[in-house]
Amino acid sequence: MKKIIFLLAIFTVLISCKTETKKVNQIKGVKSQEVPQIAIGEFNTKAGDFVNKEVQVKGIVDHVCKHGGKKILLVTDDGDVHVTSEERFNETLKGSEIILTGVVLEGRIDEAYCLKMEGDNIKSHSEGTSNKEQFEAKKEHIQQYRDQMKANNIDHISNYSLKYVSYSKVE
Amino acid sequence: MSIAIKTLRKWSRILHRDVGFFFIGITLIYAISGIALNHMSDWNPNYTVELRNFTTTLNLEKSNATKDNILLLLDKINSRKNYKSHYYPNDNTLKIFLKGGSSIAVNILNGNGTAKYLKKRPLIFETNYLHYNPNRIWTWFSDIFAGALILFVITSFFITKGKKGIIGRGGIYMLLGIIIPILFLLYYM
Repeated sequence: MKKIIFLLAIFTVLISCKTETKKVNQIKGVKSQEVPQIAIGEFNTKAGDFVNKEVQVKGIVDHVCKHGGKKILLVTDDGDVHVTSEERFNETLKGSEIILTGVVLEGRIDEAYCLKMEGDNIKSHSEGTSNKEQFEAKKEHIQQYRDQMKANNIDHISNYSLKYVSYSKVE
Repeated sequence: MSIAIKTLRKWSRILHRDVGFFFIGITLIYAISGIALNHMSDWNPNYTVELRNFTTTLNLEKSNATKDNILLLLDKINSRKNYKSHYYPNDNTLKIFLKGGSSIAVNILNGNGTAKYLKKRPLIFETNYLHYNPNRIWTWFSDIFAGALILFVITSFFITKGKKGIIGRGGIYMLLGIIIPILFLLYYM
């Protein structure tokens, strides 16, 4: 019995040794000198210059994805940025103002992407996953992409997001 | 029956029973959170959500007095102590974040607003937290649990002998349990 209690005690100590997985820098207002900071309102226009490079953005966490918690939406009065992570974000971050460091990712919407979206839309509708209203809305959305590319005489639209590296809370 | 088989049956029973007792807690954690998270599209598995509509005459347009007016609003509908942050998602809307994940959205033109109060679901919130693998120690513990599940499978082959065991009715149940996911994969993949 004594041995069992001893083993349980060791086990309890091990479990209670909580390790923090997120790289959080809680130092007030501290930002790295090397990493350029972009205002969220200017993110879409400036991010193209920093693809695959680290940048910092400052904003309020509007939303932590409830499906796994690996996506957040960072907002200001002037715009928003989607952030993805391989680790979960703590839900208590919602409403916190943070300075987030992340790597700029570019998602390209081109004709091949539109064709794939079209195929997926038809498939999900024929399988009953989406109703007529959703099907038509998606169809219209795809057409909007095509119209936008045609109007601007470009072959793709770039969507920028951030891959999470670290953050610090602004208090 | 040889002594070796007898010993194997004996140890299978002992391990299945004792390790099984040890992992009752974690089994319940994964079972409860498994059901809760499976139906994520139907409900919020972590919080109950209460919506409360209100109307305010306070001026909440962007100005130097915005923060003070927000605190006055919170005095009326909640508590200023719960204020966390705010921003304007568009020209007409102010969103206020409260401590604990709750939030308030106000149409600043007509003063109509909705407060969305979140309250943790007791027990389910905690089990979901663990299900999402919060840290490395828990990863080890849950890996050991996964290993124990494999142990339960192996030991179950030897616990019951005869027509109720693996070569009888138990074997049929086992095959059915394997066929169902295979059929699912063939149909949906």
